[in-house]
This record gives sequence, structure tokens and C-alpha cells, in this order.
Amino acid sequence: MVAFQWLFLISIAAGLVGAMSGMGGGVVLIPALTLLGVDIKHAIAISMVAVIATSSGSASAYVRDRITNLKVGMFLEMFTIIGALVGATITLISGHQFLYIVFGVVLLGSSTTMFFERRRSGAKPAHQDKFTRWLQLEGSYYDQAENRTISYRAVRAYLGGPLMFGAGFIAGLLGIGAGALKVLIFDLAMGLPSKVATTTSNLIIGVTALAGSSVYLAAGLIDPGQASAVILGILIGAFSGTRVLVRLTNVAIRHFFRIILILLGLEMVLRGAGVL
Amino acid sequence: MSEDNRTSQNQSPQSQVPHQFDMEALIGSILLAGVLLSVVLIVVGLIWYGIKTGNLALNFMIKGMNLYHFLVDDIDQFRSGNITPGLFIDLGIAALLLTPFVRVLVSVFYFMIAERNWKFVFFTGFVCSVLIYSLFFR
Repeated sequence: MVAFQWLFLISIAAGLVGAMSGMGGGVVLIPALTLLGVDIKHAIAISMVAVIATSSGSASAYVRDRITNLKVGMFLEMFTIIGALVGATITLISGHQFLYIVFGVVLLGSSTTMFFERRRSGAKPAHQDKFTRWLQLEGSYYDQAENRTISYRAVRAYLGGPLMFGAGFIAGLLGIGAGALKVLIFDLAMGLPSKVATTTSNLIIGVTALAGSSVYLAAGLIDPGQASAVILGILIGAFSGTRVLVRLTNVAIRHFFRIILILLGLEMVLRGAGVL
Repeated sequence: MSEDNRTSQNQSPQSQVPHQFDMEALIGSILLAGVLLSVVLIVVGLIWYGIKTGNLALNFMIKGMNLYHFLVDDIDQFRSGNITPGLFIDLGIAALLLTPFVRVLVSVFYFMIAERNWKFVFFTGFVCSVLIYSLFFR
């Protein structure tokens, strides 16, 4: 039995790191919980519920700022929830070693990708394909930094949908938001401006996490006592993180986060392989 | 209902959006209210538990059940007067799980009544049906 205060403190730390690095909390939370001795399937299930809290909390602000594109989000949710249901079901029937290895590989992968400098989403002359136009996936938002209204049109929704199934699958399988992956799909496949991509991804994460949670709830993997500590902790961490530092640019601190990710990733892979 | 009449009588799709109360405001408020309700219920449960037992080593598992049975159990417990700190925590988690669900449910009706956008009634309706199946009938 893991003590309440440890769950609470480690969740605050995961929320802080998640918010400051822009990775979301789950990716750090789950390895930390397993290090405390929580079973990996329980850790995944609890994290999935905690993801609903952090995503809904921040989405409420983004949506009212009118940057989130609700139609893009609601179209793609169809794909992510199915992905999450499939992913979570696979976790239920998977062995623990398999989950450790997959999670470790995802951690190592995100340690390399999170440091690529995001290329500036240049204003693409949007030649919208017929399908995306039929879906009415376009919009505009007021950019405070640039002090002007930016209009955009999404493209290639026929590609975005199936790719989002994959992002939902990873989210459900590992109990994480998989926000970075969703942002990447919005950016590369659908040509959305980066602010719209991050905020819309945030909106979808809540519903996707709910689909995953429904599977874990029905399997009896959610312990309300543990979940309550984690939900409160990660909310406190995430919101103090976003208030203190919107986004870290300091290279030294980013390297520090990268090393944490690599160590956690290696630890999980080795544990999965039976070495640790 | 007056909302509904005004938007449906207005013929211009671009200028109809009332900025005091539109879909963004509605969804933003639902998400915020759900998370706040959940946090309040959980904090009340935890503080009460802490006072009652002197520690916070909560350890109770729920047996595998869907959200419907989870809610029914909680409501039964509430009505039988057996109100415990654990019940508040359960209700807090239920409120959290219902938050994105209510958001989707309200979106279906918003697209149906305010926008009459049947494409998106279908999309949100699909998401809603899958969630209803998974949360209530699994």
C-alpha cells in the first residue's frame, strides 16, 4: 500500500514537470507511480482519470479564449475514442513486461522528439480538399502576440482521422494524453496553426481519456483512494506550473528534463526485459 | 427557448453568433464547473476522512463496474443515509468522468437546436453513443 502523501507529492511533481515541459503529466506520472510500487496497470488506469482532470481544466480556459477549433476537435474525437477503447482493451490483456517495454520506448522516443525546434507553421496558402471543405474545418482566432486575427483552413481531414485513431490508441494503451502526437498530426497532416493545434488537441484529450477510463473502470483497476490523491496532486502541479512558467526555453533545464525522461525510459525498458 | 428562436429565425449564418452565450462559452463553463465540482467533492471527502481517522491512508478498491453501476451504488448509499468520506470521493471521481461526457451530450443538442448542423449532430452523436455504450452498458 503506497502512502497517500507520496502519491500526492509525486503527482504534484509530475504535474509541474508536465506543464513546464509541455509534455503533459501522464508520461512522467506513470513511471513515477511504478517506482513507488504501484502496479503498472493500476498506474495507467489512475493516470487516465487524472488526464481527464488536467485536460478539462485547461481546455475550459482555451475554449473560452476562442482559439480551440471545436469542429475540428469534434470530428476527430470520433477516431480517438475508438482508438482509446481498443488501446485500453489491449492493456487489459497484455502482460506487465510488454507494457513496461512499450512505455519505456515511448519515453525514450519523446525524449528525442520534444527537443526538436518546432518549425514555424508558415501561412500555407490553403488549398482545401473537397472532403475537408465539406466538413467545414476552418476558423480564425485572435492572436494576442501578433495583435491580429488569423484565419486558417484545415486540410487533409481524410488523413488526420485515421492518424488520430493511432494517437487515441497510444493514449488508451498507456494511460497518457498523447498530446504531443496529436499536435504533430494537426501540424503536419492538417496544417493547423500551432496555437489551434495545441488547444484543440487539449480538448480532444479529455474525451479520449474518458473512453480509456471507461474500460479501466469496468475492469476494476481504478482505486478511488489512490486516484483522489493523484487527481488533486496533478491539478495543483499543472496549474502552478502553467502560472509560474508558461513554457521553458532555458536550454539547461530542458536538458535536465530530457535526462529524466531517458532515465525513466531506460528503467522501464530494463524492468520489462527482466533485468531490474 | 428564446435563444433558439432568435438563432433559427436569423438567416445569415455568419452574423448569428451571439457572443455572450455561444458554444465556446457553454463548453468552457461545463468543463470548468465539472472539474471544480469534482475537486470540491474529493477535498471534502479527504478532509473528513483525515479528521475521522487521523490519517489519509485511504485504501478501497471498487469492484469492476461501469459508470452507471458506480453511480447507482453511490446514490443507493446516499439514500440509505450511509454517508461516508469514501462516498464523497467516489462522487468526485464520478463528476470528473461525467464532465467530458456532458460536454459531448450538450454539443449534440447545440448543433441540433442552435446551428441545425446535421453533419455535426451526426459526428457528436456518434461520439456520444460510443461513450454511452462504454460507460453505461459495458
